[in-house]
Amino acid sequence: MKGRFNVLYFNIGAVVVGLIISASMLLFMQINPLSVGGEAIRKIFTDHYTTGEIFVKATPLIFTSLAFAFTYKANLYNIGAQGQFYAGSIAAIALSLWLGDVLPTVLVILVVLAGSAAAGAAVGGLIGLAKAKFHANEFLVSMMSTYVVKALMDYLLRTGLQETKAEYLQTDAISKNAYLPNIVSGTRIHLGFVLAIVTAVLIWVLLYKTPLGFRIRAVGYNHNAAELGGIRTGRIFTVAFLIAGGLAGMAGLTEINGVQHMLLQDFNASIGSFGIGIAILANGNPIGCIFASILFGFLNVMGTTMGRLPGLSIPASIIDLIEGIVMICVIMSYFLRGYVQSSMEKKRMKKAGA
Amino acid sequence: MPTPVVEIQHVSKYFAKVVANKDVSMHVDSGEVVALLGENGAGKSTIMKILYGLYTMDEGRILIRGEEAAIKSPAYAMERGIAMIQQHFSLVPTHTATENIILGSVKGHYSIKEYDKKIAKLAESYGFDIPVGRKVGELAVGVQQKIEILKALYINASILIMDEPTAVLTPQEAEVLMQFIRDFTAKGNSVIFITHKLREVMEVADRIVVMRNGVVAGTVLRAETNEHELAKMMIGQDIVPAERSVTLDYETAEKVLEFRHVVLRQKDAPPLIDDVSFAVHRGEIFGIAGVSGNGQDALCDAISGVRQATSGEIVYCGADISGYSIRERIAAGIGYVPVDRYRDGMVMDMTLAENMLLKSSFDKKWFSHGIVRQKALNAYTADKIAEHRVKATGPSDLAKSLSGGNQQKVVLAREVDLGKKLLVLNQPTRGLDMGAVDRIHKVILEEKESKKGVLLVSTELSEIFEICDRIAVMYKGKFMGVYKNGELTTAQIGLLMAGVSEAEEAAQ
Repeated sequence: MKGRFNVLYFNIGAVVVGLIISASMLLFMQINPLSVGGEAIRKIFTDHYTTGEIFVKATPLIFTSLAFAFTYKANLYNIGAQGQFYAGSIAAIALSLWLGDVLPTVLVILVVLAGSAAAGAAVGGLIGLAKAKFHANEFLVSMMSTYVVKALMDYLLRTGLQETKAEYLQTDAISKNAYLPNIVSGTRIHLGFVLAIVTAVLIWVLLYKTPLGFRIRAVGYNHNAAELGGIRTGRIFTVAFLIAGGLAGMAGLTEINGVQHMLLQDFNASIGSFGIGIAILANGNPIGCIFASILFGFLNVMGTTMGRLPGLSIPASIIDLIEGIVMICVIMSYFLRGYVQSSMEKKRMKKAGA
Repeated sequence: MPTPVVEIQHVSKYFAKVVANKDVSMHVDSGEVVALLGENGAGKSTIMKILYGLYTMDEGRILIRGEEAAIKSPAYAMERGIAMIQQHFSLVPTHTATENIILGSVKGHYSIKEYDKKIAKLAESYGFDIPVGRKVGELAVGVQQKIEILKALYINASILIMDEPTAVLTPQEAEVLMQFIRDFTAKGNSVIFITHKLREVMEVADRIVVMRNGVVAGTVLRAETNEHELAKMMIGQDIVPAERSVTLDYETAEKVLEFRHVVLRQKDAPPLIDDVSFAVHRGEIFGIAGVSGNGQDALCDAISGVRQATSGEIVYCGADISGYSIRERIAAGIGYVPVDRYRDGMVMDMTLAENMLLKSSFDKKWFSHGIVRQKALNAYTADKIAEHRVKATGPSDLAKSLSGGNQQKVVLAREVDLGKKLLVLNQPTRGLDMGAVDRIHKVILEEKESKKGVLLVSTELSEIFEICDRIAVMYKGKFMGVYKNGELTTAQIGLLMAGVSEAEEAAQ
């Protein structure tokens, strides 16, 4: 238990340090970060719509962070959540455009859910298979797979999926019938947020309560011992990537059917990389991914709000700045934590011995 | 009194979670052989790695020839005439002997022929026969060790640290090494000899520093002590040997495991197992002796299913299991304690309960509706902890929080339960304290009593002689013969371990 709190302290510390550093950046623009930050926070929490945006932004991040956290438990690095998300998005838009007016909403959503998860899983599964069969480096393969899927998406946006006017690289808007239902009026929060939370809980159960999860974790900690325990590590690699890909793919449903209602070029281009940082912040824990994603949703909305404050002309890129700096602090704290823990242990022993 | 060449004063070293050395003090005089004696994990190698600059100490100081020295790197140590021969040699296998020896001390253009001559001369002066131009990877382990020694001599080392130098040698090769140590120190040099073998200590050391649990348990002169006293200092308690039961008539007993002309070969390499045939019977402990690295691990792998035999049959309870997967072999009732529990036996970051489940993750009895039956698993683990006297607070302890001996007891508890008919043990007591060794031997004998077949691979002859019914000696993948316990003397078995067959022995 003590260890877990330790992690929590370190992460909170990292976020605070990250915020302080990014706030001090505002000083270069002769802006008082405290008053601006206070103003932004006041705005976020007095305006329902803006409060809701936190959860809208958090939804896809929960999925992409789970996609990283899941394979991480098998000691694999899934850097390709972005590509798996794009695969899911392609499936979601194609199915929604095709079936949007044909089937009742419930069925459309279910079909799109299955389709986007399957598309993401297909991309993920291929990475896992390459790792299992050819000992390919999953880090590189998954990273590059994003570019392949992105190229495919661009191609489709110029051809089969392009809008009827054939003007921009985007699709037609989907029918209202295919929208994920809104769950809080006055905001854009949609059913996808609930889906994300339920999924995170199910993933936690899968990892910690089922034999498959046990095998995945055993392989992650010590694949030699797992192999000798009759567990086929190659199969676990494939299954872990298949599931992770499916998770990232599901973000396709929430973003297409819940928020954007169409697919466009460079759609949500950084949720994959943020997913990695969020998973690290959550220490790979699926439940932790929910809270860490909400935190990043908040930072995102904070940045947007600050950019929109009248009369200050804070550039919109302040979002990237805040998120980027916080992310770096979180990742550095991960290494600092290891160092501090071992030196504390040493001190304790010196005292005990003396 | 002359100044000691090395003086270690109150040195402590802490690793995360472990005290490796606590307040260690010792000294070495010139012309002296100091043996550093202790069980594996007693902190012998750590203190020497500090002296050699591989580790930095957390407390204390070291004096070299009376001067305080901050030894930060092996290069610094070598400048002061300290050389260390690691347990696992640091040689480049694709380089020749000469190239390995001069590595790090030549610059720019040089003539390898000249150096070949120089090294050959150096080797000759110590009576070593070294093929200087051959690639090190092709040479025998004993020769490789001589190259390591030459590396030290080449830089004019006067303080030579040797970490378990005889572990990889046959008794005959070890004798040559002992002679070298005597010659070397006769010239006024010093040797620090790390070992856990009492016999060697009594043979070669002038002074003996005994270590236990990271501290110096005592320092004695060889002339004033005996093996019994040393053993007591090393272990800290008296050992009660396991009771032997009457030998069963295993010749007529049912065969549990049979190897029929089994060969295991890797591409372009000599076979790891070369035409081995033997049988293990119910109620028999079949021992495989030999210097480590002679195919014992491959043999265990072939039984557990980690590697597949190239040809031949492996018959278990009447069925050829050559084609079985690891999972099928576990289900068939083969228990296996691998040689390296950190690598293959346990998941150190998981709990004890999870480790008990490790090999049964496909067994339906631990699941209901797809969910692990945690309560049942915990109760079972708690039972086993109590039964095998594992020192742990409960089933939720992380495996890595236990001591080595207790970890091994957990592995053994699991395998004894899984191995319904056959138990394969690869050096199950390696690196453990005597209390744990004793306990493990008792468990093995109990399994024999309950009519299981036991295959025990060990490099410790005392262990083999103590509990085995029959003994096979393995050398370069072959069996040198199978003998009943008591048929062989230590000297005979030593020759077999060195690859000298009985016929050759008789001819000598």
